[in-house]
Amino acid sequence: MKKHILLIGGFNKTQALSNSLLKKGYQVTVINKDYHDCQKLAEISRLNVIFGDGTKPFILEEAKIHTVDIAIALTQKDEINLVICELCKKKFNVKKAVTLIEDPKKIEFFYKMGVDSVVSAINAITNIIEQQALLDDITTVIPVGEGRISITEVPIPENARTVGKKLLEIDLPKEVIIGCIIRDEESLVPRGDTRIKANDELILISSDKQEKAIRLLTGED
Amino acid sequence: MRIFSSEKMYTLIIGSGRLGASLANDLSEQGGNVIVVDRDKSSFRKLSPSFGGLTVIGDATNLTILNEAQIKKAEVVIVVTNDDNVNIMISQMAKELFKKNKVISRLYDPDRKSVYDGFDIDLIYPAILSVNEINRLLKKENKEEV
Repeated sequence: MKKHILLIGGFNKTQALSNSLLKKGYQVTVINKDYHDCQKLAEISRLNVIFGDGTKPFILEEAKIHTVDIAIALTQKDEINLVICELCKKKFNVKKAVTLIEDPKKIEFFYKMGVDSVVSAINAITNIIEQQALLDDITTVIPVGEGRISITEVPIPENARTVGKKLLEIDLPKEVIIGCIIRDEESLVPRGDTRIKANDELILISSDKQEKAIRLLTGED
Repeated sequence: MRIFSSEKMYTLIIGSGRLGASLANDLSEQGGNVIVVDRDKSSFRKLSPSFGGLTVIGDATNLTILNEAQIKKAEVVIVVTNDDNVNIMISQMAKELFKKNKVISRLYDPDRKSVYDGFDIDLIYPAILSVNEINRLLKKENKEEV
């Protein structure tokens, strides 16, 4: 059976998320309390749209909450998101409740209240900005595991010192591994004896010290 | 503004609406120490001129404001803003983060009651109270007719 995902509140995020989830084959329902937003959202095909306040249990029931596998609260008010998640978990036994949070100081409190996953846009964005500002060679940094681990895409310039070297010859910090190399259109999982070529794109997985690793990999002579 | 001596226990009231403000007036009149928090300064006009407690302006869903209102020293926390969701979050924060023994909250919509399950929070339901009271008045009237 298709997984059923319920999105509550939000407009731009909801629109983008529902498009992406529907494309991946999930069943998606959205609840929004702005009638105008509902009309816009209803233009997306196969999307169920419900007009109402998601903190009201009967509205959640209307959204067939008992069949929902994952509920995601996307409103801009922390208290509303919290109540939605608590209703989903406590009253309707939804398996997983995810929420956005405005105030990063309350993340721990939300976890204590039984929310399964708390996403802080502020934390995620400041992390990305910080990394982008410090490392201009990186094309993408994706924080995972609440930002403890990052996945970094590093293009190797032609004049880099590491071009032609085997991976085991490069003294990477132990917090960093090279998970994958993208060479032309191919992607290969590297071994110790794989040689780095110019214009390769390395995918680094790191818990720390990625700046040092990147300097090491892309540095010139 | 009078600063309470640190040993004295006091009551923290969040939301200076009709209920919050009249409660604050009552408690203050009885000689209790009261701090009232509201995000709108004009709400404090509902407090009587003889109100002897403190007022804090700010959004009590913010931990900084709760600390400013000295929630740590409060004996009782009464959460009576006009928004159910705000009340739920603040009373749960008072219970979980500040380990308050006595938290009283108001819930307009009894359907949301299950959110409070597992917390030792005292609840007031204006709708149910009014229904009971009206029923009582109706019964009284019936008896009088008979």
